[in-house]
Amino acid sequence: MEPVAICTEALTRRFGALVAVDNVNLRVAAGQFFGFLGPNGAGKSTTIKMLTGLLAPSCGQIQVLGSDLTKDSAEVKRQIGVVPEGMALFGRLTGCEYLNFAGRMYGLDRDRAAKRAAELLEFMQLADQPKTLVTDYSHGMQKKLALAAAVIHSPRILFLDEPFEGVDAIASGTLKAMLQRMIARGATIFLTSHVLEIVERLCSHVAIIHRGRLVAQGSLEELRAGVEAGEAPGTAAEKLTLEQIFLRVVGGAHHADQELSWLG
Amino acid sequence: MAGLMVTRETRGQLAAIALMRWQLIVNSLRTLRGRLEMASRVMMALTFSVGGFAGAVGMCLGAWYFVSSGRMEFLALLLWFLFLFWQFVPVVATAFTENADSSNLLRFPLSYPAFFLIRMAYGSLDLATVLGSLWLAAMAVGIGFAAPGLFAWAAVVLLAFGVVNTLLARVIFAWIERWLARRRTREILGFVFFIFLIGFQFIGPVMNRYEGRAHPQARQLAERILPAGRALPPGLAAAAVARAGEAKPAAALGALGLLCAYGAVFFVLLHARLRAQYLGENLSEAAAPAGRVKGKRMLYRGWSLPGVSGPVAAILEKEFRYLLRSGPMLFTLVMPVVVLLIFRLTPGRAGGGDGFLLKAPDMAFPVGSAYAMLVLTNLVFNNFGPDGAGAQFFYASPVRLREVVLAKNLAAALVVAMEIALVWLGVCYLYRPPALDVTLATLAGLLFALPANMAVGNVLSMYAPKKIDLGTFGRQRASSATQFAAMGCQLGIFGIAALVVLAAHFAGRLWLAAAFFLVLAAAAFGVYAFALERAEQMALARREVILAELSRA
Repeated sequence: MEPVAICTEALTRRFGALVAVDNVNLRVAAGQFFGFLGPNGAGKSTTIKMLTGLLAPSCGQIQVLGSDLTKDSAEVKRQIGVVPEGMALFGRLTGCEYLNFAGRMYGLDRDRAAKRAAELLEFMQLADQPKTLVTDYSHGMQKKLALAAAVIHSPRILFLDEPFEGVDAIASGTLKAMLQRMIARGATIFLTSHVLEIVERLCSHVAIIHRGRLVAQGSLEELRAGVEAGEAPGTAAEKLTLEQIFLRVVGGAHHADQELSWLG
Repeated sequence: MAGLMVTRETRGQLAAIALMRWQLIVNSLRTLRGRLEMASRVMMALTFSVGGFAGAVGMCLGAWYFVSSGRMEFLALLLWFLFLFWQFVPVVATAFTENADSSNLLRFPLSYPAFFLIRMAYGSLDLATVLGSLWLAAMAVGIGFAAPGLFAWAAVVLLAFGVVNTLLARVIFAWIERWLARRRTREILGFVFFIFLIGFQFIGPVMNRYEGRAHPQARQLAERILPAGRALPPGLAAAAVARAGEAKPAAALGALGLLCAYGAVFFVLLHARLRAQYLGENLSEAAAPAGRVKGKRMLYRGWSLPGVSGPVAAILEKEFRYLLRSGPMLFTLVMPVVVLLIFRLTPGRAGGGDGFLLKAPDMAFPVGSAYAMLVLTNLVFNNFGPDGAGAQFFYASPVRLREVVLAKNLAAALVVAMEIALVWLGVCYLYRPPALDVTLATLAGLLFALPANMAVGNVLSMYAPKKIDLGTFGRQRASSATQFAAMGCQLGIFGIAALVVLAAHFAGRLWLAAAFFLVLAAAAFGVYAFALERAEQMALARREVILAELSRA
């Protein structure tokens, strides 16, 4: 059996009367490229924030690499990298300064932080504007920089919240290349994304959260088999795409009957 | 200017923006923090109102006295005070000034007149404008009581004077923001300031040389310079009222016309700035040629500081880089020396004579240090504010939040130390080297004030954080709750310090103050250490509020 990288038990988060994440039991094996999907407001970002220590759970347990996140948070954080929703950048540093800063915050010595920062800037094609402040980077450049900062200490698990949002095809290719390289070297990646084609292409395992509850979890084949098993025989003539699986699991009803007569 | 006609659509947009601002206020009251913030604002407003109304009574009485005693030209004294207050306070107290960001409104089909009016409306909500307007109204009332027939004319003149002041204040703010935004103009401004400082030094020797002598050339020069004051807005406003009182309508109209001409010039200067902003001007450093670098690059290594861990050194470096790239903060850093300079320039009474610090030069170092402390504590009362969404990084990293807070406090302490050294040099240069006992008492006082401020600041940083923008003028203000609590903290610290100094003064031994301050400093360090130990726990307990507040768009 593969070692478990991330495990949650009855993970719950309430905001007043709203239960944003409700009794979620996640299992992510080490080395998996794990896609965490859900419609807007389903609880994806809240879950990822709890898994990375940015938000305290209302109740439930979080184990990351065998350690309890609440008890050994510093130890866990040393082994993970995060690109949160807001990217957590420091706008008034240059890219190089920011990566050096990030490296040293993760315990790298000056020389190693400097060397890795330079390599990452080259790899991410950010090295040719050394004096530009992060705040003046384009959105795609900021995403690449945020990812570079998240991997500078060579984490065993990488958490990415919408890493491909607002990123062009070139930058997206660079990000994917880096992520696949990390997977090849045994890291675990946990990502949320609305771009289901990318998740289908990259991820080996997927979980779907809907209205705070985990409604599906497993490999793509397991999810496909689960959905097909629930349908009438012969209706699924072709192999279901992840988008079709997703829509069937969360019930993607259209409201086309409401006509916006004034539009166009 | 013809384009500044307000159309029906513009009126609708202005109403929508006013409604949006109102809804923001109402919605902010949904949370406890929002209600506390509002309560703090009300308390601050009440506090300033007391001073404001006292000033208004003074202005009213002053105007009444000058008019009823037939010395209407002396209205210029009141108007000059008002003019300097209106123009200096927003710049000197930039840390306490709010310059709302209206750039996000540009995505809407907002006409330029609407944009201009919004910027003016936002600007007229600042402290100096509110108090200045109140005092002008009080002056009009005073003039009206003394000479009822003059009231309507005086009201028109003072209204024009108020508009000129509002426009000029906005012009100064907009242009300083423009100059400080880029390194090159920042350097030029710094150089001009330096030249001004050096040039100022020649005033003293020149004055000493010609003092008491009926030097014809010096007298001629003085006679030429003094009337210049009458050609400036306060002199013109006073002349417009005085000439009307002397039944010289043409001269009164002429003075008002010149005053309006100043308004027109300031309007054009402001228009140039706001038009550029309206067209999408970007004041960031990136607009300057950043220069793409090809070929082999130097490896950049972060700071290494003896006795300091890697993460703490990294945070210190980050804090300093933020400060050095912030025009408004650099401006704040030179302000204590500017204030010393102003005291050096200001005569003690209307007829001349030495100002307060020239009479008591030993007080220059304590006064400069206290002012430096006052403006720099803005750094410690909202620790995470400049980081914005970057604060998430601290929570995601393995570094203890206690270390993060400690590093930020160390950075602030270093800045204060450098600032105090700068003030000391400034005092030596502008006045004379302070006496040893004064220096020791002041430094011991700072050792008490700094940790006390930091202890309170660390708690406030977690309980009322607010995202601020160090790069833009007027966006460094902490939350109202923080400002209110900080004001209380400062009053307490300065009150204690004043008592200690007075006691030592009456005892005739200033070194006693130094000794007592050291005892207080030990206590303040104890409180600081206690608060720091709880910083980790507090930061974790408050992480949702901190991150939500700092990650706001």
